[in-house]
Amino acid sequence: MPVRPVIEVDQLNVTYGEFHAVKNLSFQVARGELYALLGTNGAGKTSTLEVIEGHRKASAGTVRVFGKSPTDRRAVRPRMGIMLQEGGFAADLTVEESVRLIGRLSERQDTVARVLELVDLGHRADTRVAQLSGGEKRRLDFATAVYGRPELIVLDEPTTGLDIQSRDALWETVRQLREDGATVVLTTHYLEEAQQRADRIGLMHGGVFRSQGTVSELTQTLPASIRFSLPPGSPALPMRPAPMADGFYTIDTFDLQRDLKTLLDWADAHAVQLPGLSAAPTRLDDVFRAIGTEPVPS
Amino acid sequence: MLPIAQSELIQLFRNRAVLITSLIMPAAASIFFISYRDTFSQIGSLGYVAAVLIFIIAAFSLYATTVTTLAARRQNLFLKRLRSTAAGDATILAGLVLPVSVIAIVQVAVILIVFASVGRAPADVELLVVALTAALVMMLAFAVATAGITNSPEHAQVTTLPLSLGVIAVATWVGITGTENFALLKRILPGGSATELIVNAWNGGAPLADSMLLVAPTLVWVVVAIVLAARMFRWEPRR
Repeated sequence: MPVRPVIEVDQLNVTYGEFHAVKNLSFQVARGELYALLGTNGAGKTSTLEVIEGHRKASAGTVRVFGKSPTDRRAVRPRMGIMLQEGGFAADLTVEESVRLIGRLSERQDTVARVLELVDLGHRADTRVAQLSGGEKRRLDFATAVYGRPELIVLDEPTTGLDIQSRDALWETVRQLREDGATVVLTTHYLEEAQQRADRIGLMHGGVFRSQGTVSELTQTLPASIRFSLPPGSPALPMRPAPMADGFYTIDTFDLQRDLKTLLDWADAHAVQLPGLSAAPTRLDDVFRAIGTEPVPS
Repeated sequence: MLPIAQSELIQLFRNRAVLITSLIMPAAASIFFISYRDTFSQIGSLGYVAAVLIFIIAAFSLYATTVTTLAARRQNLFLKRLRSTAAGDATILAGLVLPVSVIAIVQVAVILIVFASVGRAPADVELLVVALTAALVMMLAFAVATAGITNSPEHAQVTTLPLSLGVIAVATWVGITGTENFALLKRILPGGSATELIVNAWNGGAPLADSMLLVAPTLVWVVVAIVLAARMFRWEPRR
């Protein structure tokens, strides 16, 4: 019997009055997968995430989490940890009181001390939330999300405001939870994090998916580039490069290895130096930029 | 519900501004009315003083504090945080208002016991409890409704004024002038029939049938407040 996906989104629509924030969005997240939902500002990813979290009802379409409606908190939330994008803690409660409160309400079993040590906030247990720095608040948020090792963790821009050590520690915790079988849904503005960690990525723009797949699948949609300059009087190249304003040439290619080898073989054969030679594979940033320049679908 | 109530109680006692609104101000006003009870009872009656005491606590200790608390919790997304857990909406709301409600009930009980001990005991305690319960439930439900149109704790200082001052004004009007004139108007105003019930319960002498007739508009206001609360309350800040 096939294993049912942890998250099933089918023809999701979210509207705010006349504004259509999410349009006919469909995707699934398999058990143990890390799925990154990326998009331009106003792309509809927060609205989508809020429906998955059960904070917002779909205007049309269906969303199932563990086969249940995400608004069925009693059924879903004990298995699901949520890291909100911002805020949500009472300023007058201490760190320990905040984690204990959310932990008890999550109906998962854990100890406050363990999760505080996990996010390096053990020494701040008696500090009121109002006195925490922005980064410490994000770590506190993460602590409540992973309290009790939930099966599904939703991380809304988890590393915004964190220093590099805290980021590394957070991703290490996520890695350990995934080793235990946890499923992770992530939104982030740090594309390199998604590129390094996500199994699959959904790229949203204007309320729809413009692209969805693995990093490799997404980057294959745009050419890689070879960049170099040519000494005066060089013989004709085996391929046609595009001259740039700075005197360099670029070759856009969907087969970087083959075309780079052709260029180097030609240079060897003619004893031509290629000053400033570089070859860059397509990055997620390039795909993201390309999508961001596309017109918003009506 | 209890973990939420516990956290609310902790926050209440750590926030001086809320503590002053919910405890100090109603207590100070009550002490003033009890100290000058003879003067006020000559203007109205002891029942009138009891009604004003009850509505002062209901307006400041319960209503204004609840509106401020709910607006603050929504503004800093604490409500959203609580809704990210397995707790249901009714549980969350009950946990949030429980400490304030218990404090208001204890305050009313203590102040009325003090008032009865220095003045005269109420003639009909059961009727007083009915009127008191209806008044507190109505004000609590109105607080939840008002929180729906209150964006911040600062904004609550404005949005709570009409009803807080309104019910105290109605209690004063009904308590001092009685219902010989404008009876219908006085009884359909929020807190009007509840005030008359409290006055009757404290002073005694009114036929039970007349008092029972006042229960209907009192309960209608409770229902209206609950319906408004269900319709107007928002869990998240306006986008």
